[in-house]
Amino acid sequence: MIDEQTQELVLQYLLGELEPSRMEAVRTQIESDAELKTFVNEMEETVGSLAYSVQPIAAPPDIPQRILRAERGPARAVQEAPRSRRAALIPWAVAACLAIACIILGVDRERVRDGLSKELAALRETNAQTSKALTQLEQKSADSEKGLAALEQKNAGAQTELAALRQKAAEQDQAVAALTQKDADSQKELAALRQRNLLSEVKIATLTAQVAKFQQTNAVVVWDTGLRSGVLLLDKLPPPAPGKDYQLWVIDPSKPIPVSAGVLSVPSVGLIRTSFHPTQPVQSAAAFAISVEKSGGSTKPEGQIILLGK
Amino acid sequence: MTRLADDPESKFEASLISQIADGDESAFATFYQRLSSSLYGMAYRMMNDAKEAEDVLQEGFTYIWRRAGSFDPSRSTAFAWAVMIVRNKAIDRLRVRQRSERLRERAEESLVQQTDESSAEEPTLRERSAMVRSALQQIPQEQRAALELAFFGGLTHEEIAERLTTPLGTIKARIRRGLLRLRDFLHEEI
Repeated sequence: MIDEQTQELVLQYLLGELEPSRMEAVRTQIESDAELKTFVNEMEETVGSLAYSVQPIAAPPDIPQRILRAERGPARAVQEAPRSRRAALIPWAVAACLAIACIILGVDRERVRDGLSKELAALRETNAQTSKALTQLEQKSADSEKGLAALEQKNAGAQTELAALRQKAAEQDQAVAALTQKDADSQKELAALRQRNLLSEVKIATLTAQVAKFQQTNAVVVWDTGLRSGVLLLDKLPPPAPGKDYQLWVIDPSKPIPVSAGVLSVPSVGLIRTSFHPTQPVQSAAAFAISVEKSGGSTKPEGQIILLGK
Repeated sequence: MTRLADDPESKFEASLISQIADGDESAFATFYQRLSSSLYGMAYRMMNDAKEAEDVLQEGFTYIWRRAGSFDPSRSTAFAWAVMIVRNKAIDRLRVRQRSERLRERAEESLVQQTDESSAEEPTLRERSAMVRSALQQIPQEQRAALELAFFGGLTHEEIAERLTTPLGTIKARIRRGLLRLRDFLHEEI
């Protein structure tokens, strides 16, 4: 039975914790004790199995080649180099030189150690400064990346805004075009309305013959209700009989008798076009008539009505 | 009691070591192929630096190439032997330098990125890893923590006691009990 203290000592041996001299003593003890040896073997196996608990990582595949290349190099040199007697002295010469060098180095050892210590301290200082600078650079880099991300975000926002403004401008242009079109339409409509208004203020009446003699006569009255005046067009009206005149009348229902629009001056041949103004204000021109009156005209119709129209 | 050394994989690895001792370069390449990812993972965890882990691995395998003849298959498995060699190389380096916390963080980040996917395709390695991890999970947390600091951290019992502000005797007991329990669990699994 192996006591706990020995077990712990052996484990320290296996884990490589003991000083070299102690290691040798324990090794001797193990070799001389079969039970202890078995225990050590089992424990070595158990300790070794701990490596299985680690996640395996693909190792560089060329390490065996590197090792074999390095191991082969010196051996081949030894085999292939022909050794002359002079060459055989070379190792001794080298050994002698090394011995001399060791003496020199031994003398200089302390000085070199001091120098190395200083250089090591300087390297450590440099390393610390480099680490610090690297940390600062990493911080700066991180800040720059943040700034860049913010700018990119801002730019994306501005692009979106610009696109929205362009869309709005296009819509406004369309609205202006639509309004311009509407305005043109309105102008046209207004012009049409004005035209229609003008026409509504004008009354056209065709006078028809009331006597067979005037069947060939054409007579048209264009009456402007706004201006309360009109134009008479006459064709193929024979000249009046001597001592007689043709007189135009406007029939206004609000008046007891027709209102005279004047005596017509009739040339021998051709078209008569004459404008006329009633002698009294007319409210509504319901009809027009031409009668034969005594020369110079009458204040009310007394002669025969030859032409009449509404 | 059955041991890991008795399983066919371990026997094959032991035969490779024997061939390496005879100067068989292809056996050396095969041995490297089988063990390097686990050993590199361990070296990486200990060194927290890819270049240094690579150097440790190269030094370890150089030792294996040169000293394969000293391997005794009756003592332990070839894997355990190689682990102890590579671990000792790592500890040699760990004891002459102090790693900065910053470097550790970077290494851990890159460790996560460089996980070897191909290892998942190797049943033996995967099964062994699962078995050891499962066994470790059955050990009390304080024993596991002390074991990991000793094995991967390369800390001595005294350094672990100081770091965990725990008496040295307690740390020794935790490591001893932890390893004994781990041994028993592993043997039960096999």
